[in-house]
Amino acid sequence: MANKKVSKKDIASLLEQWRQQFAVFAPSRESGVAAFAEWDGKDVSFLDWYRNTVVPPKASFLPPMEEMFRFEKGTEGYNIKPRPEEENKRLLFGVRPCDARAIAIVDMTFKDAYQDPYYLSKRNNTLLVGLSCTNPCESCFCTSMGTGPAESADVDLMLVDIGDEFLIEEVTDKGKELTRDLKEATEEDEAKAEQSKKAAYDRVTRKLNTEGIKDRLLASFDDQGFWEKTAAKCISCGICTLLCPTCYCFDISDEMVKQEGTRFRSWDSCGFPNYTKMPMENPRQEKWRRVRQKVCHKYEFYPMTFDVVACTGCGRCVRLCPVNWDITQVIESVPDKTGVNK
Amino acid sequence: MEQKLRQEAKALLEHKKVDWIIGFAPGSLKFTATPLITNDKDDTERLVINPFMVNNLADFLTGLEGRVGIVAKGCDSRSIISLIQDNKLAREDVVILAVPCPGLIDLAKVERLVGKYRDELDDISRDGDKVTVTADGQKKEFTASQVLFDHCLACELPTPQEYDILLSEPRPPAPELETSGQNKAKLKETPPAERWRFWKNELSRCIRCYACRNVCPACFCQRCFVEETEPQWLMPIPRWQDNLNFQIIRNIHVAGRCTDCGECERVCPVNIPLRSLTREMYDIVGELFKFKSGMDREAQPLMVHYEQEEAEDSFR
Repeated sequence: MANKKVSKKDIASLLEQWRQQFAVFAPSRESGVAAFAEWDGKDVSFLDWYRNTVVPPKASFLPPMEEMFRFEKGTEGYNIKPRPEEENKRLLFGVRPCDARAIAIVDMTFKDAYQDPYYLSKRNNTLLVGLSCTNPCESCFCTSMGTGPAESADVDLMLVDIGDEFLIEEVTDKGKELTRDLKEATEEDEAKAEQSKKAAYDRVTRKLNTEGIKDRLLASFDDQGFWEKTAAKCISCGICTLLCPTCYCFDISDEMVKQEGTRFRSWDSCGFPNYTKMPMENPRQEKWRRVRQKVCHKYEFYPMTFDVVACTGCGRCVRLCPVNWDITQVIESVPDKTGVNK
Repeated sequence: MEQKLRQEAKALLEHKKVDWIIGFAPGSLKFTATPLITNDKDDTERLVINPFMVNNLADFLTGLEGRVGIVAKGCDSRSIISLIQDNKLAREDVVILAVPCPGLIDLAKVERLVGKYRDELDDISRDGDKVTVTADGQKKEFTASQVLFDHCLACELPTPQEYDILLSEPRPPAPELETSGQNKAKLKETPPAERWRFWKNELSRCIRCYACRNVCPACFCQRCFVEETEPQWLMPIPRWQDNLNFQIIRNIHVAGRCTDCGECERVCPVNIPLRSLTREMYDIVGELFKFKSGMDREAQPLMVHYEQEEAEDSFR
């Protein structure tokens, strides 16, 4: 089956066409930081961006904060006022493959035994249109994490840069419906796409060897010296977790004004001491325990539960960390004690 | 300077003069340095001094047990002195390895000037007032004032006043300091309603990662009002009103301790111009109380000290 193609200068009109059916979201710097925002009908400058958005597209499904429901204190207890269902069909345009992979990874948690209605009501109504990377950053290591700069596995449509045009891979049936009116790609376009993908793949120079990482972490879990050294320069801020595309932890809080209240949920981070604070005790009061949790959740516990490492090599944590705490260096430095206790 | 630093740091650990060394090692990305906190003398071989050693290392002092040898730029030294003034640290527990600092290079400014991301640059080198950026084999030259951090252009103390080991010739402050930075100057002339809109917009994107608080050596509280639940001063959700309150209260809490090191603004992942707030407070403290934090170890901390002749208009 032939792929489709679209000229770069026609992207705005294509988005306009899709906007008739969907609320279209695309990378934007309008808010002052690169993030997905409702497309304004003209700005496609993000097509030339070198770097990924700072705020990952997980924010479209698990926003930094959201109302879960409202409630009212009545004479016979509380009356709950559920939030109206999300019915809006949405399309995220320009999702990088690492972030699409991350969404697939977060889906596993929210679609597991407990089906999270807040996440899924948004996720199930949303199509993902991917955009290949031509210039991966120095901090990117996607090719070590089961994806790559032009990987199409986790999107509905994938746009591959072939110069003045994009080749469009139709990945899902829903995606295919969007491209009905577009021209078919020629053999020459296909060849260009292969070349472009390979060139981008080769440009990802940061590598991470994750072989046996789950077992290595398991064996080193109690190596306090290693974890203390690893955690020494961490300042316990929430940047690497809150802006991680696969981190999904949230906090729940109520606010009451007189008799009326709202329940919110908002991003939370295992890097914060308060995350595990309980009456009488905090099992992760020390910083090294929190750093260990963060690393092990991604590279040990998630693989144990879902058979996949919860890191896609997007590089945000490496780029944004105030102290250059680099997860790739940490993973490489985990001692191999797997043979010790056998 | 680097060789001398390595020798001194190694000797300090070897002779048990200190338990820890805090300095900088090469970072994992181009044009970065990373904090190195070690008690291993072999690690001192990795110590570096370069124009990218952006962190205020004083932030790590209160978390360590024992005596510490610390690499300090002028700004770091002010934070160290401020901690000593506040009794968070004893002078004899710290060995200050002073680095006379010519200012640090703000990569965001370089990116804007060159029109390329840092990933695409091959080299950034500095020779006196001249900074040369190489990309795609092309060299572009800038003056230091074009590429240094705003807070470096306002630096009143390039060389630590208080130190134990001086690593090179002291540097005086620049003859003319640019204290405000673009944003703050502009904001001053902006009518209040518009300024309110500005901050509402800026603080709407705060994600409450608390990096601004956690990098701040002046934010040394073990319990922060943000996390208190009884009473709950703020909602733990990134709503702009709560974000604004957080920043205002934090700013008031560090008044008289803030040394204008600029770290809060540098680390903000969503580009909130926090120094426009903190520098304003720094200036107010200077104007009303003639006080500059971290300049004089013997001076009483601003907020625990009152003199009758202090201007009545301080209370306004």
